[in-house]
Amino acid sequence: MTSATIRLDDVTKIFDGRVLAVDGVTLDIAAGEFFSLLGPSGCGKTTSLRMIAGFELPDSGRVHVAGRDITDLPVHKRDMGMVFQSYALFPHRTVAENVAFGLRMREVPKPDIERRVKAALAQVALTGLEERKPGQLSGGQQQRVALARALVVEPPVLLCDEPLGALDRKLRQQMQFELKELQKRLGVTLVFVTHDQEEALAMSDRIAVMNHGKVEQVGAPTEIYERPRTRFVADFIGEINILEESGRARALRPEKIHLVSDGARVSGTVETANFLGGSTLLRVMTTDGRSLLVRETHAGERPSRKPGDAVGLLWNDQDTVLLEG
Amino acid sequence: MISRRTVLGTGALAAATLAAPSILHAQTKTLKITTWGGKWGDIMKATVLPAFEKEFKCTVSADQAFPYVPKLQASPKNDPLYDVLHTNSNEQWNCFTEGLVMDKITPKEAPNVADVYPWAASDKIVGVAIFTSAIGLGFRTDKGLTKPTSWKDLADPKLAGARGSYIIPVNSLGQCHLMMLGKIYGKGLQDLDAAYKALEQLKPIKLVDFTGQMEKMLLSGEVSMGVIHDSGVYRYDGQNQPVDFASPSEGVMALEQVLNVTPGSKVKELAFAYVDYMLRPDTQKLLAEGVWYSPANKKVKLDAKYDEKLLTTEAKVATLIQPDWKWYNARKEDIDARVTKILKG
Amino acid sequence: MSAPLPTIRNKQPFDAGRATYLTLNGLLLAFLLAPIAIVLVFALNPTPYISFPPVGVSLRWFEKFFRTPEFTNALFLSLWVAGCVLVLSIVIGGACALALARGNLPGRSFLTAFFMSPLMLPAILTGLALFQSYLLAGIGRPVWGLIMAHTLVAVPYVIRTTLAVLHNFDRRIEEAAAVLGASPTRVFFEVTLPLIRPGVFAGGVFAFIVSFDQFPVSLFLVVPKGETLPVVLFNYMKFDLDGAIAAASMVSILLALSVVLVLERLIGLRAYVKL
Repeated sequence: MTSATIRLDDVTKIFDGRVLAVDGVTLDIAAGEFFSLLGPSGCGKTTSLRMIAGFELPDSGRVHVAGRDITDLPVHKRDMGMVFQSYALFPHRTVAENVAFGLRMREVPKPDIERRVKAALAQVALTGLEERKPGQLSGGQQQRVALARALVVEPPVLLCDEPLGALDRKLRQQMQFELKELQKRLGVTLVFVTHDQEEALAMSDRIAVMNHGKVEQVGAPTEIYERPRTRFVADFIGEINILEESGRARALRPEKIHLVSDGARVSGTVETANFLGGSTLLRVMTTDGRSLLVRETHAGERPSRKPGDAVGLLWNDQDTVLLEG
Repeated sequence: MISRRTVLGTGALAAATLAAPSILHAQTKTLKITTWGGKWGDIMKATVLPAFEKEFKCTVSADQAFPYVPKLQASPKNDPLYDVLHTNSNEQWNCFTEGLVMDKITPKEAPNVADVYPWAASDKIVGVAIFTSAIGLGFRTDKGLTKPTSWKDLADPKLAGARGSYIIPVNSLGQCHLMMLGKIYGKGLQDLDAAYKALEQLKPIKLVDFTGQMEKMLLSGEVSMGVIHDSGVYRYDGQNQPVDFASPSEGVMALEQVLNVTPGSKVKELAFAYVDYMLRPDTQKLLAEGVWYSPANKKVKLDAKYDEKLLTTEAKVATLIQPDWKWYNARKEDIDARVTKILKG
Repeated sequence: MSAPLPTIRNKQPFDAGRATYLTLNGLLLAFLLAPIAIVLVFALNPTPYISFPPVGVSLRWFEKFFRTPEFTNALFLSLWVAGCVLVLSIVIGGACALALARGNLPGRSFLTAFFMSPLMLPAILTGLALFQSYLLAGIGRPVWGLIMAHTLVAVPYVIRTTLAVLHNFDRRIEEAAAVLGASPTRVFFEVTLPLIRPGVFAGGVFAFIVSFDQFPVSLFLVVPKGETLPVVLFNYMKFDLDGAIAAASMVSILLALSVVLVLERLIGLRAYVKL
């Protein structure tokens, strides 16, 4: 399967002449990359995706795919695949007809359509459900049909708009795994919109964190997690402590704080202890009046700290990250 | 008429060499008329109209769908929807007041008018009447009632709830009945106060919209005695129905079938020819015996069975009372309001 | 163990609310069906007036209905007109509804009200106004004029039902088709049209019935020898009030019912409960 680069070049979108949805976004997405647009609702991630798809025209800036400027190309000529949160299956058509739709539009010969539909359904483990209507399928099955329908045309680019948002947690994790695996196998460039940071961290090659229509930071999941550049990114991804020191903000992950009996940098009292299975997240009120999150990992032993316990805290300065702004 | 047709024929021949299409046009003149449905309409469509079309080389478009008058009112006066309007007398008066129909049709326009009884061309008629029915009392013969001789018999207390008349605002028989009450119980047809009082005394009474309903109520026995026109009872002659018609001694009201021509008609001569045709003795006999209408033409000789019951002599015709519709229509709104109040509940 | 179970289940306490509910429903149903029952009794009764209890059962009035050319011609004209109205109002009403729902038109609510306005106007006035317009325009009263008039009062039904479907329409479905390579035209015919079809045809059924039963609008617009069934029945009633009227009513009811059933079968009005 082919894959293509995507480039958003200083793209801006204003709705109704007053709502600035996307504000000068520039992104370079590599061929075959699993790229996530992450941010809270209203941050402009879906609008950015819809501009790549062609549903929205940028007010300024250009969109390139595989080096070609496609800004003015209508949706149906862009040759992309897309998966929607609501699946958007054709309710009046069978599973097989849904999957065959894109091939029919491309005027693929009938025997080829049958073969490829069969293969695509096998790929998402839906063999045998060809004649069902979408209404007769479970949410997970519908999601797979949507995926098969998008992928059967072998698009160089697959766009996913919160595709797993409607699934329950267990199914969702399974689908995350499958989707990632499928993307790697097919080598398709995948742009994935989500507001779920765990999902983005787990699946992406790179993540663009967006806020108020702007890209705050682009980087690999580890980079985003460990070296957040802005207070927003630090706050949005996982648990974080923001330390204010002489007018500058530093981020410190709870797992980088150690509980010690001697040589504590600061001491305090445990206020709450949330048991999370592999670790316990403690909220500690320090003697100098700060409230810090501390992750206590359990290497075999039971969690030992309870609210009211006195603890000593220690961390290395190298583990803190200086934030911009 | 014959001379006119000859002229037409000669003209057509002469024109044939010059402009063939115009002759075609002249030959297929269309006469637009209104006419009744039911048995009358069957006879018209089966016999009368085809014969007329053949004789006058025209086509007749006969509208049998009510309401004729509003349709005529809504159409342009210089190109009216109908050339000949056939309605009962009171509607003709309404049309006449609005200038939709002509005043009189005289022997000059339709020669057969010379042979009609005086009632058919009286000052109570605009246009010319071609038939009349007698409005009197229909009654059941199987309820131990003696044949009514007076309009007052309808007020017999035994008939409470089993007597019938019409919803006065919408039915001209009801209107005739109201005027007759003024004559019987008061100073004359126009004594409305007496009529209102008498109407009050007739309650409880069954009221219907149109005569067909009254016929059915008599047939089904829901009404034992009711105001109805003679033809509405005689039409069941020979069907073994226990109903009969009585002409009260005070006289019967006239329900005239009136023809009139619209001033804006583009085929006026043809329209007059149609009126004349409807007054021909053979046409009159055919229709009179078909639907039990009394013919307007004095020269008509009906078969004995019909002659016995219909108004076919000067003496019998003398019992006809013609309402003054011009007078009535001018007061209609007040009367409607009043009788609605009286008959409410 | 299993034997006493049914007895227990049958011992339901008397529920006054439910009894009232059932009684009211029964009364409502009786109220709706009683006229049809009376018409049926009248139609099957051999006497030329309604007699109760009926004196017998006969098909003479149905025979009279089908043997009278006035009735059968009017029936066919009514069916023909209603068929044309069905097609026209589906096309016009469907297009109007799409424009109203999707067109981003200025003054949308005004336009919606405007398209619904034929329902507000007394139908007799619509008929009279059209009659005068036709005569003034010098086009007379052709059958297509009657069809247009019926369409005018039928279109709002199609607009309403189609708008209802469009209101719940997930536009992502159309977007999905576009991404898959369908041009706007193909999106319309492959996705939009099939999905709004139940709404459009539900309106079409209304349109058919509105036209087939139409009396006030037709009253002024029919011509001699070109009268629709309701007009013919009305005029017939003025001269001959017999069972043929009732027979005609039964035929009308059965025809309307079969059109609804056939459309339901063909198009499957209930095919996509979940859109």
